[in-house]
Amino acid sequence: MSAPVVGAPLLLRTSIKHEARSFAPWIAIATVLSASSVLVYPWVFPTEADREGLATLVGSNPALGLIFGPAFDVSTADGFNAWRTLALGGLLTALGAIFVVTKATRGQEDSGQAELLASGVLGRSSRLLTAVAMGLIMSIIVGIVAAVVTLLCGGGTEATLLLCATYTATGWMGTGFAAVTSQLGAEARASSSMAVGVMGVLFILRGFTYSVEAADWALWINPLAWMTETKPAVENNWWPLWLAVALTLVLLVVAFALQARRDFGQGAIAPAPGPARGRARTPLALALKLNRGTLIVWATGFAVLGVVFGYFTTAITDLLAGDSGIGQVLASGAQSPADVFGAFVATVVNLIGIFASIACVQIILRVRKEEMDDRVEPLIATPTSRARYYASNVVVAMGAAVAFLVIAGVIVAGFASSADIGVTYGQAFGQALATIPAVWTVIAVAVAVVGARPKVSIAAWAGVLLSFGLTLLGPTFGLDDWVLAISPFYHVPAVATSTVEWAGLGVVFLVGAALVTVGFAGFRRRDLATT
Amino acid sequence: MSADEPVIETQGLVKMFGKFKALDGLDLSVAKGEVHGFLGPNGAGKSTTIRVLLGLLKANGGTARLLGGDPWSDVVELHKRLAYVPGDVALWPSMSGGEAIDLLGSLRGGLDDARRAELVERFELDPTKRGRQYSKGNRQKVAIVAALASNVELLILDEPTSGLDPLMENVFQEVLGEAKDRGTTVLLSSHILSEVETLADRLSIIRAGKIVETGTLASMRGKARTTVHATMTRIPVATDLAGLHDVQLDGNKLAATVDANGIGDAMALLTPYGLEALTVAPPSLESLFLRLYENDADAVGTR
Ligand SMILES: Nc1ncnc2c1ncn2[C@@H]1O[C@H](COP(=O)(O)OP(=O)(O)OP(=O)(O)O)[C@@H](O)[C@H]1O
Ligand SMILES: [Mg+2]
Repeated sequence: MSAPVVGAPLLLRTSIKHEARSFAPWIAIATVLSASSVLVYPWVFPTEADREGLATLVGSNPALGLIFGPAFDVSTADGFNAWRTLALGGLLTALGAIFVVTKATRGQEDSGQAELLASGVLGRSSRLLTAVAMGLIMSIIVGIVAAVVTLLCGGGTEATLLLCATYTATGWMGTGFAAVTSQLGAEARASSSMAVGVMGVLFILRGFTYSVEAADWALWINPLAWMTETKPAVENNWWPLWLAVALTLVLLVVAFALQARRDFGQGAIAPAPGPARGRARTPLALALKLNRGTLIVWATGFAVLGVVFGYFTTAITDLLAGDSGIGQVLASGAQSPADVFGAFVATVVNLIGIFASIACVQIILRVRKEEMDDRVEPLIATPTSRARYYASNVVVAMGAAVAFLVIAGVIVAGFASSADIGVTYGQAFGQALATIPAVWTVIAVAVAVVGARPKVSIAAWAGVLLSFGLTLLGPTFGLDDWVLAISPFYHVPAVATSTVEWAGLGVVFLVGAALVTVGFAGFRRRDLATT
Repeated sequence: MSADEPVIETQGLVKMFGKFKALDGLDLSVAKGEVHGFLGPNGAGKSTTIRVLLGLLKANGGTARLLGGDPWSDVVELHKRLAYVPGDVALWPSMSGGEAIDLLGSLRGGLDDARRAELVERFELDPTKRGRQYSKGNRQKVAIVAALASNVELLILDEPTSGLDPLMENVFQEVLGEAKDRGTTVLLSSHILSEVETLADRLSIIRAGKIVETGTLASMRGKARTTVHATMTRIPVATDLAGLHDVQLDGNKLAATVDANGIGDAMALLTPYGLEALTVAPPSLESLFLRLYENDADAVGTR
């Protein structure tokens, strides 16, 4: 064994033993996504007519394509599965790999664990090699488990194998990106944010390029679009997977080259000395300061999202002109064009709202991280009450939600009002404002969890997950209204349509207020985490 | 709070972590204006006690009073009057030490700017480094400066000098002496015996969640045994030495320990054998604590 990787096998074995549990959620989500599609499809869409109805539904709401990519063929269970899970399953596997790799490299360096390891008989590159191996192995397990379970649930052999292979391949690319960003960031958080950011941008661009039917080159420069081009259940192209493997290899070569030059515990981007005196003198100022970098990045992200989604609204009339789905709806006279477009704008803004809630839930979860890192203790030991400390962070999160929706809303409204779809600037912007209470309520779930039950802080994502699943997937599954109503976004009225109903939003707001109360009561009563 | 009421008083304090009893009926009393040493083996419950006193943990039983108030329910009022230094200081990675000092000071209601500057100077602290760039000792200094630069009645220090070099340890002792002269009460948890010996007026020793000994250092020394080494012209008969403890006889050389009030008797016992050389050493601090820390119940004094 060559010197730089001495000890890696042993380290890998122990690491996997300790970290295997953190693989589980990612494996579970991808498996459930894929298996549930093939399981549910024959029940929900038993007849040919049902399946055509589904195609119409998917076709008539192009906003769905932004997330799921193109629906090549949803008339079979496998085709439906490919449409519904290829993009999401891959993205989630990649996110899992990014967190695993970052934690095993920079996370360990930040916590001091790596120092113990590095002082043992361990080659210079062994820790990175171990981290990379963990990311690759986790992605493989995701693919295998998802494939086996989906096949058992009745998935077609080749389509299922190819689909699940794209999960693994996307996970590999995520591993490669994370290995590189782990060498760049000043600390673990910065490193994982960079990798997640790259994945997020590629993801949105894929949906956008397919939805507006952009030129082919725009697809081929996007590694995530390679995965879509495998077209499981339609064409079953295996060869784009090789592109993913090649990209992973290139990224890993870059990562190992960078890490050979990097100092322990430091990124390539070294922080400058700070000021000798501080200006942040209140808990609120502190919360803003700690989240400033993330807030700026997300705010920029929402401006971009506003442009992408806004431009999309201007393209909608063209897109729908040739499309049978919406044509049928309009021709049947079931809905007026204003209602259709109003509902469409509402869907787009709901998507923005769900993204905003992801960003804001992270801000709340940061409170738990700070607590675990012993940085809350000295603050609470000053005359700052727990309520005030927690409130400062909650205010930043809720305020960020407003800011994100206003930023994206201003831009989307600009495009939408110029698109000649019968939606005014005021209506589109009002739609963004009307979405805010729903986002607040999703954040409130996180406030309640971190405040009252921090041990299960993963549950803080429950609100995001429910909203996402019910708002985007619920309708295609023909779920009952009362189930759909669990998502706060269900109650956001489509401002530009003829039937605007505000009462539901009031209820959503009250539920949010109750959750926040639970969170604060819990935070005041419980023990602070000690180490 | 009346003048002679203790600044800190706990009675029968109990704190459970699940089934584990970290504090098991702790009685601690710290009088106004004193520096109170708080010692005990690792895992005895020092930090847990301090966290209960700071209202970070909620006690499961017993009572605790701090500056005349309840540490759990009167947090904000009480914390205006105290400052805390944790044993393991975690700083914000993106913030400089100077920013952290100002933040903690402002939250406490303001810093004495002159004293802040003086402390930064005396501790030779570079306030422009960022969280992770500080060495362990320098992180500790950030918290010490933040705590000592504000005018408070009570300092709660949990191993404040862990990681400080001997020069800085001296500076810390000077600075704490000055705080004491200003009338500040101090609860000082520490593993550094010389620090406690120099600074503490009284001390309490905790073991397995209980206070096993409390008093001044002198009174604890009084309860410990003095070591006697003697060389004699005649070899004594072992049975004659019944009044001595831990007797080790090697020819005419004797090593033994005697109770603090039994030195006279011991001399009377040994003189008849013709003393050639004699050393009588008061109990060393180390030996005193080692016995107190040990698990057997018949350590020094009565329990
Ligand atoms: N959050 C917790 N959960 C479970 N057990 C805990 C927790 N915090 C402390 N303990 C346990 O309580 C006991 C007392 O811990 P504490 O930190 O008070 O010890 P200490 O006297 O400060 O020790 P040291 O000298 O090492 O700092 C230890 O056995 C410790 O393991
Ligand atoms: Mg301790």
